[in-house]
Amino acid sequence: MVSRAAAAVRTRPRREREQEVLVWPDLVFIEFISALIFSIALMVLSAMVNAPLLNRADPDTTPNPSKAPWYFLNLQELLLHMEPAWAGVIVPTIALVLLAAIPYWDRDTEGQGVWFGTKFAGRLAVFGFTAATLITSLLIIWDGSLHVVWTENIIRGLGLNSDFSWPGGLDWFRNLRGFDTGIPWDSLGFTIGGFTMFADWRAIPLGIPGTTTDPWLLNLNFPSFLSQQIIPVATMVGLPVLFVLFCKALGWIHTRRDIALLIFSAFIGVYLTTTIVGTAFRGQGQDLKPPWDIVVLEE
Amino acid sequence: MANLERAPRKSFNDLIYDLIFKNYVWQSIFRTGYPNTPRNQMLAVATNVFLHLHPTRIHRTHVKITHTYCLGGLSFFMFLGLTVTGVLLMFYYVPSVERAYQDIQALEANVRFGQLLRNMHRWMAHAMIILVLLHMMRVFYTGAYKPPREFNWVVGVVLFILTLLLSFTGYLLPWDQLAFWAITVGTTMVGSAPVLGDESKFLLLGGFSVGPNALIRFYTLHVIGLPLVISIFLAVHFWRVRRDGGLARPL
Repeated sequence: MVSRAAAAVRTRPRREREQEVLVWPDLVFIEFISALIFSIALMVLSAMVNAPLLNRADPDTTPNPSKAPWYFLNLQELLLHMEPAWAGVIVPTIALVLLAAIPYWDRDTEGQGVWFGTKFAGRLAVFGFTAATLITSLLIIWDGSLHVVWTENIIRGLGLNSDFSWPGGLDWFRNLRGFDTGIPWDSLGFTIGGFTMFADWRAIPLGIPGTTTDPWLLNLNFPSFLSQQIIPVATMVGLPVLFVLFCKALGWIHTRRDIALLIFSAFIGVYLTTTIVGTAFRGQGQDLKPPWDIVVLEE
Repeated sequence: MANLERAPRKSFNDLIYDLIFKNYVWQSIFRTGYPNTPRNQMLAVATNVFLHLHPTRIHRTHVKITHTYCLGGLSFFMFLGLTVTGVLLMFYYVPSVERAYQDIQALEANVRFGQLLRNMHRWMAHAMIILVLLHMMRVFYTGAYKPPREFNWVVGVVLFILTLLLSFTGYLLPWDQLAFWAITVGTTMVGSAPVLGDESKFLLLGGFSVGPNALIRFYTLHVIGLPLVISIFLAVHFWRVRRDGGLARPL
């Protein structure tokens, strides 16, 4: 058993003194110049663009849309697509824990200290980022029911059917909540040996002892549970797994580092997309709108 | 025998140079002149309180801009700039519901360079978040989290969270509609936690909604609580960079 300290020394590269340069002046100079450039750039920015200051805070006047600071808008965006407990707390906590755990899982010391250290690193990063950005955008469009609006407009616009509207049989595919409201849950009960099973999908008795105060645990509202918890969580777990399997089939994945590269890049794509959509594409009532149509009303 | 050679006359420039850099006061501050030999340059780094974070020598690949893009250093530089502008802002700002908003208005209207000061603080805060994120991406894509640097990556994740919290607590302070409702939305998300959600929200706000208690809590966390905590983690972060053998390099 090698001690941790010994392992740490072993994983250090050999010192090559002939390849070394002096920190003064080689590094100190670069640090000084970069600090100078940033100081000047921020000074110029601050001289040109003022920090926003709206009216005095008024608890009785709610702006519509109300938004968190931009770096939390990714979470606020998630909030629109799943149970708040998942979006606001559980998902970010798990994401941060997984992020922190990367080096304890990917322990191979090969390929450190160089950009994109493995053979297919570049492809994995580009694929992960692009595919995640694309899929996230499509999911947001779908949950915003834009595909319904677009389909209706196209069919009406082409003159095929001037009063076409989204077929009722496809109501479940309008958006995520369609799985809750667009399926005739009331008629889905069935009878086995005289017992009626699931007569009421919206109040399935769970009978967990000691939970008499919490109606959610007492009776499960399955349609809402399905659309607000099962599907979002399955998507968040399933898509990364599919990504890994897909890239494995392509022969791009050989080490844990490759998997980390793929998933991290996909994470960056999702993070960026949700932040941008939350910041620039959410108007009143958090509806999807192009940035130029967004007006903040005070109600 | 008398020396026949006269000492060369000093030029005007040399006279000025000696006047500035070779007088008693200057030499009491900077004991040596410009370090122009390798030995003195290493000593300058090792013995200077600000520079001794660095090693004296560094592998040549690590001074290439494209290896790090200076992102970690610039994040820290933003922290320093935010501390300076933040201290100046504290001169003009009282964290009470009655005064906060008008203090900001007065700062913008009546204080010389007050608007510039506030703008600098605001944009530096945004820049810091972006730089920290980019720094994390740089470390990830160069594989610099791998052993023996696992723990420093974890410290970095903590620093990222603290950066977000610092920015979030500062967001409420102007006490305008933007601040008030952003914090209302943000803390409502905290309140939706399955366990201890309402309790954490109450703890954060000092009440059930954003009000005077929330303002003083956010202010205290913003100007002293979180800066102290982040300073400790920054110290550990920098220390571990050196202890773990500097920047990562191929084996």
